[in-house]
Amino acid sequence: MMDQQTHALRGEGIALSFGGIKVLKGLDVEFRAGEITGLIGPNGAGKTSLFNCLTGAYSPQEGTISYAGEPLNGLPPAARAAKGIVRSFQHVALCPDLTVRENVMMGIARNGTAGWFSAFLPLTKGIREREEMARAADAALADLGLPDVGDKFPGELPPGMQRLVEIARAVVGKPSVLMLDEPAAGLNNSETRDLTAVLRKLASTDLVMVVVEHDMDLVMSICDRIYVLNFGEFVAVGSPGEVRTNDDVVRIYLGSDDDE
Amino acid sequence: MSEAPVSDQATHMSPDRSAMARLSGSITPGVTAGILVAVLMFMPYLLGGSWTFTLGLCFANSIGVLAVSLLVRYGGEVSIGHTFFTALGAYSVGVLDTRYGISLWASVPLALCLGVTLGLLFAWPSRNLHGIYLAVTTLALALAVPEMINNFDALTGGYEGLYVATPFIPGASMGLQRYYVALAMLVIVCFAVARLRLSRQGMALLLAKTHPAAADAFGTRRVWARISIMGISGGIGALCGATLAFSGSTVSPGGFTFWQAIFLLVGSVVSFYGLSLPRVLIGGAFVTLVPQLLSSSGAWIPVFYGLALLGMILLGHYMPRIRKAMARKSETA
Amino acid sequence: MTFWDSLIYDLFPLMWSGMITGCLYALGALGLVMIFKCSKVVNFSHGNVAGLTAFLVYGLSSGVLMSLSWGAAVLVAMLAAVAIAFLIYSIISPLVFESDLTSTIATLGFGLIAQGVTLLMFGADIVALDLPIPRFAFSVLGLLVTGYDLTVLAVAIVTIGALFIVIDYTKLGIAFRAISENPFAAEVCGLNLKSVHYFAWITAAILGVIGALLIVPTTFLSVTTVATFMLQAFAAAVIGGFASLPGALVGGVLIGVLMNLFTFYVSPEYSSTFLLGVILLALNIFPNGILQNVGGSRV
Repeated sequence: MMDQQTHALRGEGIALSFGGIKVLKGLDVEFRAGEITGLIGPNGAGKTSLFNCLTGAYSPQEGTISYAGEPLNGLPPAARAAKGIVRSFQHVALCPDLTVRENVMMGIARNGTAGWFSAFLPLTKGIREREEMARAADAALADLGLPDVGDKFPGELPPGMQRLVEIARAVVGKPSVLMLDEPAAGLNNSETRDLTAVLRKLASTDLVMVVVEHDMDLVMSICDRIYVLNFGEFVAVGSPGEVRTNDDVVRIYLGSDDDE
Repeated sequence: MSEAPVSDQATHMSPDRSAMARLSGSITPGVTAGILVAVLMFMPYLLGGSWTFTLGLCFANSIGVLAVSLLVRYGGEVSIGHTFFTALGAYSVGVLDTRYGISLWASVPLALCLGVTLGLLFAWPSRNLHGIYLAVTTLALALAVPEMINNFDALTGGYEGLYVATPFIPGASMGLQRYYVALAMLVIVCFAVARLRLSRQGMALLLAKTHPAAADAFGTRRVWARISIMGISGGIGALCGATLAFSGSTVSPGGFTFWQAIFLLVGSVVSFYGLSLPRVLIGGAFVTLVPQLLSSSGAWIPVFYGLALLGMILLGHYMPRIRKAMARKSETA
Repeated sequence: MTFWDSLIYDLFPLMWSGMITGCLYALGALGLVMIFKCSKVVNFSHGNVAGLTAFLVYGLSSGVLMSLSWGAAVLVAMLAAVAIAFLIYSIISPLVFESDLTSTIATLGFGLIAQGVTLLMFGADIVALDLPIPRFAFSVLGLLVTGYDLTVLAVAIVTIGALFIVIDYTKLGIAFRAISENPFAAEVCGLNLKSVHYFAWITAAILGVIGALLIVPTTFLSVTTVATFMLQAFAAAVIGGFASLPGALVGGVLIGVLMNLFTFYVSPEYSSTFLLGVILLALNIFPNGILQNVGGSRV
């Protein structure tokens, strides 16, 4: 439990506005290690904005973001990646010119030390490094149940597998924080089931997992804790069971149903 | 630039999966290139001196075409100003040769360094430019080249140009040297570019081209990608110029006009932005041979280049559709 | 005293003539921007096509092809320019909706063809093509103003004024603005992208012809004259942000004045290098064009 507290991704008083419109109104949020935390809310609630603040794509006007007590404010995404904070993308962002294995290798390419000479000449250092990365990538793919697709190109895979490849790329570097932006978008039911299984398997004691998602079934089935956002504020926080029965949440999601 | 105005479809004109697949494992491309090189090795014994000379120029221009294609493939950007880099390389060789009698062993590394350095220097102020904005900037670069050459005439020999005559290997036939040095340069550059595809830097560049945000999230910064690819492309451009100077024996402003810059781009389009040895040879041959074959009727050269450019672009556009339609027809039949 | 002398005898005339040529750059730049604004294509054939039509005016009025009156020759050349613009856009329109970079490269091909055709029809000779305007000159505050200057100014004002009226008030102009803002939304609302693109390409061609005819008297007409002139127009468009019509206007005048000052005070031999510097500087300081930054850019 102590461990969960210290290795948490925390946001305190996060406020973000675009041209005078307040998108996030001073949010306090804590994503604990070993838990899958869901971030839900209707369209325009500010989920993606909060997500982007956490990844470093946006910098909030107010508030602090920290991981394990270390402040992250002002760090660009690339620097956050170096600290083990990685993400997936709502629209599959795999490079079509690279094989699946190479795409996954990109998750750890930043750790490479082979220089420009190795890039152009067949030097042992570069070759060995590539072999190591390829091995790590294959292992990550196998972990996610994709052992045989390494030599294929992303375009040759169905969307569900592409999504898993993206997750493989995110986890191959053994991150401390994994942020998933609508992982189930564009997936059919059986693909979503596979994804659920993979995410459950990934949830280990030292990984902070954040899922922004529309698919209620997925969120309810995998998340330990859920933050519900509306108009830039949290309406509810709690376990799936608590959130499901929260009156405000029901009103937001079911709209004016009970008036009729 | 609030939004990059360019979609990257231009760089996907030929989704040549097989070429990539070949690069990343099996041996076919190596074999193709090997056979091609073996054949080219014997060409001087089959052809006359003038054709050997022309073929040497083809190799040199192929390197230039490769520099342009590399920028498209790995940077997603189009340059209409690569004569800046070829001129840099050519004058490195020309000046060191005519002023100091120093041969390629020193001037080629110098050309490479200058090309990379100026590529980086150009990339820094233009690091946030994309698509047509960068293209127009490179166009300005190309325009500035001839006047720079003419104004530094103390060094460059002005309109007259420089004559490169110092042999690389003393004693050997100069005609053969001009041919084999160009061939060797081309093979080395093609090999290095094929290696780049497998390196972490090359892969990062490709990811940054298609999904800059994803690359950013995994530690590849956009600015790094842009500056690196301009440096590489500039360096290879300079190697093209160095080879042109040695194999073509003369360096003069006429070889580095604005039109020559466009022709390099045409060569790149004609080879479908290919990076393999056979592909860049097609582009290089196009850039070299068309002016030679049409030299008696100069006005047809731009027309022919224009038509070839359009033809290849339209082919790149309609070919996949035609192929798809054919496939559908054969399925129903 | 000498400072004031140089100001009056050098600086003011330089700025005046720079402004006059700047108006012409602006005409060229406006065409480029119109095309870019709606179809996101940079038309590299602009200069060569305009050059070809200038040669057509020469050929039709001098007896090389025909011996028409100047006005009739201009009319025919205009029609030719419109036809060429129509043809070019028709050929590349399938590309425009796929990739703007590819279609931009395709316009380079048309530029090459236009140049080749000019060479084939008229050769590489340099010819003179003057405007049928009264020759007079008078001086105001030490500034020599010629009939040519006033003609350019008048034509530029009328043309640009007409252009802005068309864009602001006609149906086509409003469609053009809508499509430039948001092509998808405009198409959903039932506007025809292609017809607006045709409108932009044809208008640009006409602007190009006007600019070419006005610039030629200051130099001579050769295959490269107008293409070179259009390069300054490119710079003007870039400085104006490439997507702003008023920006192109300001950019044109600015380039005209700056080039004149640079040529006179620094060196006439590095004008292209200077242009490169100006473009790089402008793109870095005002990435969205000079006017955008002054007025504060909207999201």
